[in-house]
Amino acid sequence: MAHLLSFIDTRPQYETPQPPEPRSQPEPPSLPPTKSINTAPKTALVVENDEILVKLLRRCLEDEGYTVRIASNTEEGMRLYGDFAPFNVVIIEYDAPQRNGVKIDYFLPQTSGKDLASDILKINPSQGIILAASAYGSPDELSLRQELMHIPVLIDISIFQLRTFLATLEVRRAMAALTVPDRLRLKRSAAYWIWTRGLGRAAHNRTADDLLSEAQLRTLIGAEDTRQGRHWNKDVDFVWHLTEAMRSISTNWKRQSEKEAYLISELPTHDAEGHEQSPLENVASRDAAADRSLVAKGEVARIFRMFTDDTECTQVLQGWYDGLKPNEIRQKYGLDEKRFAAAKKRIRVETMSRRNGGGGGEEYGI
Amino acid sequence: MAYETSHDGQQRIMNHLAHSVFELSDEEILAEVRESGVDPQEEADRTSFVLRRAADTWESENERLSNLGHTINPNYWRCVEGIYHNYCLSCGSLVSFTTAAGEMQGEALDGRCPERDQYTIRRTGSVS
Repeated sequence: MAHLLSFIDTRPQYETPQPPEPRSQPEPPSLPPTKSINTAPKTALVVENDEILVKLLRRCLEDEGYTVRIASNTEEGMRLYGDFAPFNVVIIEYDAPQRNGVKIDYFLPQTSGKDLASDILKINPSQGIILAASAYGSPDELSLRQELMHIPVLIDISIFQLRTFLATLEVRRAMAALTVPDRLRLKRSAAYWIWTRGLGRAAHNRTADDLLSEAQLRTLIGAEDTRQGRHWNKDVDFVWHLTEAMRSISTNWKRQSEKEAYLISELPTHDAEGHEQSPLENVASRDAAADRSLVAKGEVARIFRMFTDDTECTQVLQGWYDGLKPNEIRQKYGLDEKRFAAAKKRIRVETMSRRNGGGGGEEYGI
Repeated sequence: MAYETSHDGQQRIMNHLAHSVFELSDEEILAEVRESGVDPQEEADRTSFVLRRAADTWESENERLSNLGHTINPNYWRCVEGIYHNYCLSCGSLVSFTTAAGEMQGEALDGRCPERDQYTIRRTGSVS
């Protein structure tokens, strides 16, 4: 018994202070009007002569909202492509015959499926294509030319795998539709999220590119449960979707860094003479709201300090801080539309270019 | 409750600042980027590169998993401490994806799925 009891920790148990609880964020400003590129019906071309696979692919594609055209050989596939292109996706059986009635000899290399893929890419290099090669054990057994190396290959065809590839193709299509100004807005807003959350290289080694990449990956993971991924509702403009994803990711990163800082504060530290200090001296306040408020106060002061000589910028910042709407800010401080826009621009330019105190465009990956 | 003011006010400033770029017209954002001494085309290309690289990563990692015969339900990804977890529907082996590393890991990547035909359909006359 004594032996067993020796395993029981009889030291007094102290309550471990808990890290701050996550809290809800204030609502972002109202959304700008969104333009959706996804209102057109989605179309798919399937070039496949195996009836069972045709049934599976058709069912899966139709479930995902695609209008499906089927070709049972590559000649017919090319004719349908010529008549109805572009398609959102073209799925081509690697071993599809050139024309019907030709018996496939699986011991001879069949090339017409990959030839069709190459021909379609010559016509439209950005056409989304998936090669289906379910008669093979591995992609290494396929002989693919250079231009087909980037195309996804489905060896084991299942509805789940197909869904993943279709979702990725949809995101790629949305990416291809982004204009230069769209991409600049994304990059700039990423940089602002990093800067305003204090997540830059000097503090947490994050860049605007990291945030963009994370938002994109979470969109691709896209679990329908929004707590797990960032499911892209196709009615929402892709740029706006990514922006909102970046907002919530940067908020989570900030919370995570606060949590880490809190845990580090519990480690024993040493004073200047090398004596160990009690962790209790470093434990953050038990009042999480007070801690958060103190940090926020410091960050707000940092932003305001940048504009001590610019009254209009200070007024706009104060208006934002107080939760005023744009017209209320203009009315309160007597700013016409032009001066209001100019002040916002100065705030953007100054915050982006600011390098002192560890924070400028360079730091955020601009 | 008095503490809420600083925190919420800070959040509002952040949101307005990040969202203010969306109030700009195409010409205005191009001009603003040029004024900051950056080539807009270069910055736009860099953004495309980052987005494309993420898509390539996701696609190739899924292809790697799929080519081992594993079948995962894309709706079953679960995030724990920043790492996404899922499992093969056929053999139950685990797989995780870390966005920071852009890599899948787990026992599912160790070998071919022993139950690979459970959810997949193969072409008549399969040679594998």
